[in-house]
Amino acid sequence: MSVFSRDWINTALAAFVVLFFVFMLAPILVVIVVSFTSAGYVAFPIPGWSLKWFANIFAYRPFIDAMIVSIEVAVGATVLSCLVGVPACLYLARSRAAWANTVMTFLLSPLSMPMIVIGFASLFFLSRIGIGISFTALIVTHMVVCLPYVIRTVAGVYAGLPTSYEESAAILGANPARVFWHVTLPLIRPGIIAGSLFSFLTSFDNLPISYFFASASTNTLPVVMLSYLEHQFDPTIAALSTLQLLMAIIALLVVDRIYGIDKMTVAG
Amino acid sequence: MTTIKRRTFLSGGAALGAGLMAGLPLHAARAQAREITVTAFGGVWEEAVRTCFVAPFEARTGAKASVSLGGPPQWLAQVEAAPDNPPVDVLIMTPDLALTAAKAGLVDDFTVDKLPNLAKIPQELTDSVLAKGTLFDYGVGGISFNKDRVKNPPKSFAEFVDRVADGEFIASVPSISYAVTPIMLIWAMAQALGGSVNDVDPFFKAMDRMKDNLVFWSSPNDFFNHLSSGEAELGIYFDGRTWNHYDSGATWIDFLNPQEGGALNGVAVQKPKNANPLAWDYINEVLDADNQTRFAEIMNYGVTNTDVVYSERLKPRITPWQETRFPPYEEIAAVRNEWVDRWNREIGR
Repeated sequence: MSVFSRDWINTALAAFVVLFFVFMLAPILVVIVVSFTSAGYVAFPIPGWSLKWFANIFAYRPFIDAMIVSIEVAVGATVLSCLVGVPACLYLARSRAAWANTVMTFLLSPLSMPMIVIGFASLFFLSRIGIGISFTALIVTHMVVCLPYVIRTVAGVYAGLPTSYEESAAILGANPARVFWHVTLPLIRPGIIAGSLFSFLTSFDNLPISYFFASASTNTLPVVMLSYLEHQFDPTIAALSTLQLLMAIIALLVVDRIYGIDKMTVAG
Repeated sequence: MTTIKRRTFLSGGAALGAGLMAGLPLHAARAQAREITVTAFGGVWEEAVRTCFVAPFEARTGAKASVSLGGPPQWLAQVEAAPDNPPVDVLIMTPDLALTAAKAGLVDDFTVDKLPNLAKIPQELTDSVLAKGTLFDYGVGGISFNKDRVKNPPKSFAEFVDRVADGEFIASVPSISYAVTPIMLIWAMAQALGGSVNDVDPFFKAMDRMKDNLVFWSSPNDFFNHLSSGEAELGIYFDGRTWNHYDSGATWIDFLNPQEGGALNGVAVQKPKNANPLAWDYINEVLDADNQTRFAEIMNYGVTNTDVVYSERLKPRITPWQETRFPPYEEIAAVRNEWVDRWNREIGR
């Protein structure tokens, strides 16, 4: 019997999966544990337990202000991405025109560019046309990098749908607006939800673009966290990371409860 | 000029999105005549800036100073992008970027008639950034060590190299990805071992001797982790950061300025051209002796006004700038890329 029997291979694969999860999760676990340390500095193992670093998050006003800005920017960029991206997908995904592929590739191109280049170039361009360092500039540049996620997922869903659904509705007398509202939109909703989730998370965690558009009123959370880390050594950032992780888990649970994660996985 | 705030933006929703697509002319809110935007690093730095500089400025002028958090490359890029209408009125810069801003003509000249407190700042510190700014705060790159594990620390760079090369210690030194490494490590060690800006062979020979007993840090927190985890016993690090760790409860850490003198790493203050003239009043507060004394007390770093008298707690911690080695920032900037290239080829970490 070969040494590479099915049992042996299954055991090896299972071990690999376990090791992979340990490799992925161990650093996160260390951050979570450190966020509860009683020490005034980051060290592992921790000497004792305390919640004071979580209290420190709320005591340092820039963290709260920046978190509000980050949420507003992520929501704004996601809404704008959907407003621009969904109509574009509806046209491009089924178009047979030669230029449709080119336009689609163009809309997806921010994914293949380093974000720091997009941020730096956008800063100079938007300053030149008078938008400059502002909340508007932040939303516009975030939309540029969020748009591909909406396009990719919505186009993937829409291209896979048979045209017969919309044709049937039209034959039965529905005008284009009613066809969109009652037939197309429900069918592409998993793509919109999945794209919006990716878009929100991409914007919320973005540093390379936000870095160039930060000002006293437009600092996002990653920019403030980086600036804090440069000159502060306490475990507040670990506590903040744990809090963000908790928020992400709660968001996923809520989405799962009201919509179902499994439905989103059919997108793209 | 149309002004838009973020809440207005969100409440506009889709209509504004359509407006954007139509090319609606949106402009950032410019600071009002009685409001300036100043800069600071985050955390305790920002709190010190608000307490020591912003509060006295606002009390004296009745104007408002908003604090923008971030870092020098970000602020320099923002000023470069809008030199006629800079989004920040006061810059906090590393010396190399301060020189870049000065040479690019982005910042104003510093003179005593605009800044009376400049008279109390040593001329060398102002000249180091071509008199288009001045240094108001500094740290020293020296030897930080775990005093529980290193009872007899090396007193000089030369001794540091010999004992690390002999395997007596594992040392943590800054990697080339850290912006200040060319100054605090390459130049400082080359100079201490008989080299110069034009001859850094002694440094690279020393690194070759020590290579089996080195770990590298790419951010200051890495260094502390190396020492606290026992991965290294000592290393090249800053005095102020060492004392901040000490005050946070890591009382096992200590610092010494090498006999040859550690490299001075200053923080420059500059005013962009076309910035609000009120920035001069703010910068004058930054250079004020009383304000700097309070700033040093919070930050554990040296300050530059000659009238400053440090407290008994702080005095033993602060290395007078005359006992440091003053880096030729401009000359180093000219050969910096060459050093980085050589580091990548010979050290590669």
